[in-house]
Amino acid sequence: MLLAHGIGGRQDLPIPFSAALTGAVLALLVSFVALGTLWKDARLGGDLRAARLLPAAVRRAVRSRAWPWVWRIAGLVAAAYFCVGLIFGPDVADNPTAGAFYVLFWVGLVPLSLLFGPVWRGLSPLRTLHLLACAALRRDPALGLRRTPPGLGYWPACAGLFAFVWLELVAPERATLPVIGIWLAIYVVIMLAGAVVFGAKWFGHADPFEVYSDLVGRLAPVTRRADGLLVWRNSLDGMAGLRPAPGLTVLVVLLLGSTMYDSASNAPTWVRIVQDAPVPAPVMGTAGLVAVIGLVFAAYRAATALAGRWGAAEPGSTAGELAHSIVPIAVGYVIAHYYTLFLLEGQRTVALLSDPLNTGANWLGTAGWTIKALGTTPAGIATLQVTVIVVGHVLGTVLAHDRALALFPRRTAVLGQIPLLVLMVIYTLVGLLLLFAA
Amino acid sequence: MRHAPARIRRPLATFLLGAALVMATSACGGSSTPASADAPPKDITVTIAGGKVTPEPGRIEVTKGQTVRIKVTSDVADEAHVHGYDKEASLQPGTPASIEFVADETGLFEVETHETELQLFQLVVR
Repeated sequence: MLLAHGIGGRQDLPIPFSAALTGAVLALLVSFVALGTLWKDARLGGDLRAARLLPAAVRRAVRSRAWPWVWRIAGLVAAAYFCVGLIFGPDVADNPTAGAFYVLFWVGLVPLSLLFGPVWRGLSPLRTLHLLACAALRRDPALGLRRTPPGLGYWPACAGLFAFVWLELVAPERATLPVIGIWLAIYVVIMLAGAVVFGAKWFGHADPFEVYSDLVGRLAPVTRRADGLLVWRNSLDGMAGLRPAPGLTVLVVLLLGSTMYDSASNAPTWVRIVQDAPVPAPVMGTAGLVAVIGLVFAAYRAATALAGRWGAAEPGSTAGELAHSIVPIAVGYVIAHYYTLFLLEGQRTVALLSDPLNTGANWLGTAGWTIKALGTTPAGIATLQVTVIVVGHVLGTVLAHDRALALFPRRTAVLGQIPLLVLMVIYTLVGLLLLFAA
Repeated sequence: MRHAPARIRRPLATFLLGAALVMATSACGGSSTPASADAPPKDITVTIAGGKVTPEPGRIEVTKGQTVRIKVTSDVADEAHVHGYDKEASLQPGTPASIEFVADETGLFEVETHETELQLFQLVVR
């Protein structure tokens, strides 16, 4: 992401060819090992009956009545603080709003969700406002005016996520307050209006940040079991618990495709194409974003259709059933792409947050922060980038393998996995290639 | 909780070994290019005319610690900006403006104009 006004001013160096090559070889190796030597019966995504409980003190704290309200209030306070800079701050490079929105919030949502699960449901100020309004009117927040249509699924969230990545990666003047303000105003109106019509579950269908946090949060090592108890779990079990729903495939493809576009759009070749084109840059950017997401989607549909045919699965089931296996690949790529931005630009944003009105204030005591490298050497960054991409690939491959065993009869299970492995190897190689070349 | 079955452990071990390999290879790549302050200053000349950048935008590599001297000539009034280093120069039509600084941070930095929103080049500091 390169926004005007200096956000993301520094970008990572292209990774060395040796690192990209090592990652590619590893990804290939892991794929074949997975096909040949992993287990022969589907075993992920179980009911966690034997899971180890978290310490009693933690469980008690989480079960207390105060717990959800602590986080709701934290979400409200943070949102209110964010609005100070957004509404009353001057529209200058030292306003923390763009950094707080794109870096601390959007990128920061990934590590938070990876560690603690679906955090945005608990923090969302819009959910809290809806809850409070319902309490004041003595209405049940779960009830709306209408029932949600059966085919709704993740489609509203897909639209919201596309709107967000377009804002983040393409929109002109995207780091300025009016643009961020208008986008957020539309988001708030659609979220709250939908919640009035369909009840609080609208947020789970439509809030792009909540759906994103829910998806990534499935990889968290802790979860609340069906009986309400907090347990440790295998991240793979969490991810395998994601069930097909309308729009799910497009949603996961959006995550991977938009990040790949962000990389690709940085390549000098693409810059030249955009600047030589007769149409304005945002038009080219939109076309590029749609094209990359479209390619990722086409590859996914083709591979899963072929896998379904070769593996003799129930027709039409493979695309949705395997969508969960793309999430770790997308998350690995997001981390590889954004973690230095989060570390470095995040520090700058925290410093700026002390003075959202640009009056020389130091409300949080962080105004004097200078950006520290925090161990981000070029070699270290490249190593981490390749490592997280390969880890994502490994998790995706294992998840796809496990699901294939459930989808395909034993006789065709190996054959059916080949297109899936090829797809994942392609995603991973493209990811590495983009880090190397773009 | 299902523990990682023994069958995952072997591939995982293979993978960790590989990760160590990545670390080793990229570390070698890093140490072979020492920061050099004695390299001569890097002169970069860019012309903007009719919304076109000459030479075409590409990547220009410098060594960490090297001095970078950028000369920009534009046919319209504008502002040139080096991202990350946050160096700026205001451009008057037809008059070359220069930006000079020591590239002391590694990374990739875009150099662009503000009004016409053109990318001039990407500065790669290793």
